Amino acid sequence: MDTTNKNEGRRDFLKKSTALAALTIASPALIKAGDNDEKIAAYFEKVPLELEINGQAYKLSVEPRVTLLDLLREQLGLTGTKKGCDHGQCGCCTVHVDGKRINSCLSLAVMSHGKKVTTIEGLAKGEELHPMQEAFMKHDGFQCGYCTPGQIMSAIGCIREGHANTAEDVREYMSGNICRCGAYPNIVDAIMEVKKGGKQL
Amino acid sequence: MINFEYTRVNSAKAAVAAKSKNVAAQFIAGGTNLVDLMKKGVTAPQRLIDINALPLKDISSDAKGLSIGTLVPNSVAAENKLVLEKYPLLAMALNAGASAQLRNMATVGGNIMQRTRCPYFYDITMPCNKRIPQSGCGAMEGYNRMHAIFGASDKCIAVHPSDMCVALAALNATVVISGTKGEKKIPFANFHRLPGDTPELDNNLQTGELITAVHIPANRFNRSYYLKVRDRLSYAFALVSVAVALEVTDGSIRSASIAMGGVAHKPWRLTEVEKYLIGKSITANVFKEAAEIGMKNAKTYQHNQFKVKMGKSAIVEALTKATS
Amino acid sequence: MDKNNLSETFFADDDRVDGLAKVTGKAKFTAEFKPAGLTHAVFVCSTIAKGAIKHMNIYEAKNAPGVIDIIYYLNCPAVPGYKPVDRIANPNARDFTGLKVFHNNMVVSNGQPIALVIADTYERAVHAASLVKVEYIKEKSETDFDKNKFNDKLLKPRPEYVRNQKDAWKNAEVFLEEEYTMPVETHNPMEMHATIAVWEGGKLTVYDKSQGPKNVQGELGRIFAIDEKNVQVITEFVGGAFGSSLRSWPHVHAAVIATKKLNRPVKVTLNREQMFTMVGYRPQCWQKIGIGASKDGKLTGIAHHAVSNTSSYEDFTEGISSVSQYLYDCPNVFTTYKILPLDINTPTWMRGPGPGTGCFALESALDELSYKLNIDPIELRLINNAEVHPQSKLPWTTKFLKECYALGKEKIGWHKRPTTPGSLKEDGMLVGYGMAVGVFGAGRNPATAKGILKNDGTLLLQSAVSDMGPGTSTAMVKIGSEQMGLEEKKVRFELGDTDFPTGPTQGGSGSATAVGSAVIAVCDAIKLSLKEIAIESIAGFKNVKPENIKYEAGKLIAANNVSIHFMDLLKETGKPEVQVSKSSSSFAQRDKYATNSFSVHFVKLHVHPVTGVIKLKHMVSAADAGKIISEKTARSQMVGGAVGGIGMAMTEESLIDHRYGRYINSNFVDYHVPVHADVPPMDIVFPNQPDYIISPTGAKGIGEIALVGVAPAILNAVYNATGKRVRDLPVTPDKLI
Repeated sequence: MDTTNKNEGRRDFLKKSTALAALTIASPALIKAGDNDEKIAAYFEKVPLELEINGQAYKLSVEPRVTLLDLLREQLGLTGTKKGCDHGQCGCCTVHVDGKRINSCLSLAVMSHGKKVTTIEGLAKGEELHPMQEAFMKHDGFQCGYCTPGQIMSAIGCIREGHANTAEDVREYMSGNICRCGAYPNIVDAIMEVKKGGKQL
Repeated sequence: MINFEYTRVNSAKAAVAAKSKNVAAQFIAGGTNLVDLMKKGVTAPQRLIDINALPLKDISSDAKGLSIGTLVPNSVAAENKLVLEKYPLLAMALNAGASAQLRNMATVGGNIMQRTRCPYFYDITMPCNKRIPQSGCGAMEGYNRMHAIFGASDKCIAVHPSDMCVALAALNATVVISGTKGEKKIPFANFHRLPGDTPELDNNLQTGELITAVHIPANRFNRSYYLKVRDRLSYAFALVSVAVALEVTDGSIRSASIAMGGVAHKPWRLTEVEKYLIGKSITANVFKEAAEIGMKNAKTYQHNQFKVKMGKSAIVEALTKATS
Repeated sequence: MDKNNLSETFFADDDRVDGLAKVTGKAKFTAEFKPAGLTHAVFVCSTIAKGAIKHMNIYEAKNAPGVIDIIYYLNCPAVPGYKPVDRIANPNARDFTGLKVFHNNMVVSNGQPIALVIADTYERAVHAASLVKVEYIKEKSETDFDKNKFNDKLLKPRPEYVRNQKDAWKNAEVFLEEEYTMPVETHNPMEMHATIAVWEGGKLTVYDKSQGPKNVQGELGRIFAIDEKNVQVITEFVGGAFGSSLRSWPHVHAAVIATKKLNRPVKVTLNREQMFTMVGYRPQCWQKIGIGASKDGKLTGIAHHAVSNTSSYEDFTEGISSVSQYLYDCPNVFTTYKILPLDINTPTWMRGPGPGTGCFALESALDELSYKLNIDPIELRLINNAEVHPQSKLPWTTKFLKECYALGKEKIGWHKRPTTPGSLKEDGMLVGYGMAVGVFGAGRNPATAKGILKNDGTLLLQSAVSDMGPGTSTAMVKIGSEQMGLEEKKVRFELGDTDFPTGPTQGGSGSATAVGSAVIAVCDAIKLSLKEIAIESIAGFKNVKPENIKYEAGKLIAANNVSIHFMDLLKETGKPEVQVSKSSSSFAQRDKYATNSFSVHFVKLHVHPVTGVIKLKHMVSAADAGKIISEKTARSQMVGGAVGGIGMAMTEESLIDHRYGRYINSNFVDYHVPVHADVPPMDIVFPNQPDYIISPTGAKGIGEIALVGVAPAILNAVYNATGKRVRDLPVTPDKLI
């Protein structure tokens, strides 16, 4: 596919339509003489984003193309959420948005505006681990540990959604989380134990 | 991924207006398919119109049937009481698709709009008439194990990847659409297209139009089943799938509605089979004959010949499961 | 240097020592470090399989926002190690055979890295990479293994092996000859490969996803002509690898080239698609086995032929057909092996390399033979059990394969297995039982470790190895704790840093024996030092010989029952710590013993009689892995290997469209690895018999035998359930309808 013309056209479009049109209403202080096109474009290519992550409020300015996953990992240093495929095919990037488990790699960060995000870093209360974290340690629900944060976030979702009544259920509803080390049976044991523990997650 | 403009809208009217102004704009809801396609460079919208704030998240029913708002997440639809009670086929199909996380994100409208998983469509270095008209079809002479056996053209042999849509097709759903000229409804069977000479068009939605809901009419089906055969036991696209809805009284089939997935560019209704089944009793031979009829006009390619036999098996098994 | 702070990761009971770091998200993997001024780099990759780059237009990409540089063959600084070596000056030096990244305009595989785009953010690098335009001079490429597997003009034969008669199997009372094929399988660890390189003041620091940090250090020193002591490689957490990180791939070199050119830290990350084209894979393989036996089941001859693929620029081989030389007692054996160069990137070792592929064919063939003979498959194997190594006639250091049969047979309920295929049904599903054997070499590689025993009662151990998941740290802590009589939480093992003493590359199931032996040597030396200190400074130990002092639970005890705890000893003598580095050598008795670990895998499964869908119901693996050092992690390794075997048997297949020489399923949607739903409950059993001949750890290694033999066990169970013998992996539902 020849993307050259399209992309050139696109940048022109941005400059002409959004950026330049918006210039007329923006504070002139923002646009200093000598700023090149790219800086102006970059300014207007970013959009404001307010969200809460692990109980902390963030006021950010991000490019719309930045995924929630890359925002967490690259910009906010929250590297506990992992990138395993970047296409919603492995579950390593699972986080909770407003309490629901989702793939953060297919979610644009800007779409989480006004929402509450919970990552693996937000589970433990100080020294006290979340019951699912404890169960994963007890049952050795991992080997390399890379898919683990996603598995744990997904496992909590699995129980909350009411899909952990049987081991067979757990296997089906956890199938969005790939573990290449093959810790699956241990993960299922961990989830069943937490489920039986009956704690509100 | 190239950067793009991003706007949020609060009403269907505003959404339609925003899109009508810019042909290179696209709606985004769950984003599970669109963001993926953008990352692969398959599509590069200049502007994304975020419709998540639209009030189209209700599921309601009346005597005429069930309405599901376009923004209802797949997981919510799959576990909705009304859906489970009246249209368990839809719940089964929804749960057979993707993963729990993706079902939490993906919306009903987005599922209808999802594009094919043909590898030649996804790889921008390959020829694909659907991605770039007139560039050729990579799959025709290439690796086509997952491809169509019904309704394909010499331009495209891709299949529609959705499970949900197969059930909606069998349930005679209607797609409710909002456009600049107001609201319109398209029967599900007419919504998705066969590739013909214009495989770039997946469906009959016009530029600027927005799916606002799906309506499923009340029916008399009292037996149903969704069978999906895939390469692993979960989180994989269908090799073939079958949605069966039957009205059975006193061991005899009064009416039938059957659709298949993984076999065509759109959910594939087995109308001949449906006709055949009317008045038949529930026997293995009847199901076997139904399967033969269903697969009668299949056209296979180098790697997907198995789909004929598998399709027959799946029809028999789905009918058996539905009636047992 | 920024590193993981793991001092808080002390653990409890039998948990994995790095478990806390992993379940809290605190464990930082390679791509997660952020040296000041870090830049983000991604590759532009070739879209043809063979030819040359005619022109690369980088203008638009170079001018895209945030782009710092684009490195490709026309502007890439010369890499010293890519030049042919001077064999006269250095007779032992070898030319670099891997892909010389950005070295010239030649394209040798589709997906080959041809330019590196470096930008200030990841998104900008990715976008700019899409703007690079490449014109090629295309040549006809050949990637079709099936078409060329018998093409003698292309094939490169390896030495044949003949024991007595080549074709004895043909004259046997009962015999068969069948072909078995396996597609390309890709490692696909969950963590995608990444390298961060920092060139600063003549010192190179590299964060790398590697199974062998010392290996990477040595290679980068050689390739970039930097004194090894100025190269530091850090690889503390490795998110799986299974062989893909056994060597350095082009992205590691590219990161170093870039940081040296730009004088800024550079992070190169691969995407999932590039994981198929840049970091190796298990090669495609065709095998043919002729096997014959007398009516009472005694093997009389095996002929095992194998062809697997390699790249056009490197010869990659693994011991595939050689398993038939030694797994069973058979008087006549003939094996051949040829490699087929194709226009694809070079394959590499993947979990259970060689026997993983070879046992699929041999153990399938043996199962087929068992039905022809009407002898139970376990009985057939017992009849042909090799008491000594059939090739060398040497005894094994230890061999508890028979115990594995017995343990596993019991656990799976082998007596329920139908002797007639397709005859047993459960809930409308066809039921099948199958079993197969796995084998892998055992041994001991050299390793060095450092130990620091402190007067606060803690022991710190260090070695420059990496832990991709098996639990090396956990095992080493257990060994250290046992040796020094300390609670496990008082012992810490640090790894993944070339500043530590030399450790081996993690591969071939050798970490426990190698590093464990070094740890034992360190502990012995620490004990001796403590004794010497006591003799010199403590009244009751004066004139006592070290060998007459016992060390028990942290205490030194002389014959006269005078005792002192090492903490008191160190405190009283004013020593904060005792520090020792010790090496252990490689296994030196190869002329006296054969060394192998063994496994037997058992499977119970259901096959849907109509749709052909397989549902695994129960799996049991029994492993003769020597002494089990850490039961919990050992069990997990076995389970993980079995899951890998499920993938090999049922789901995994990397596919190339030969018209383009390009993978068409290089993603997790189309390349199916097993998911939760595919994996049944599993039982793992160990005879747990130590092998102290191989090493003082008693271990023999687990990682490979966990997988080797699993796939044929599944295929054998499928046959038992359906009467359909599938000899072409993977066994997807379409093959059973």
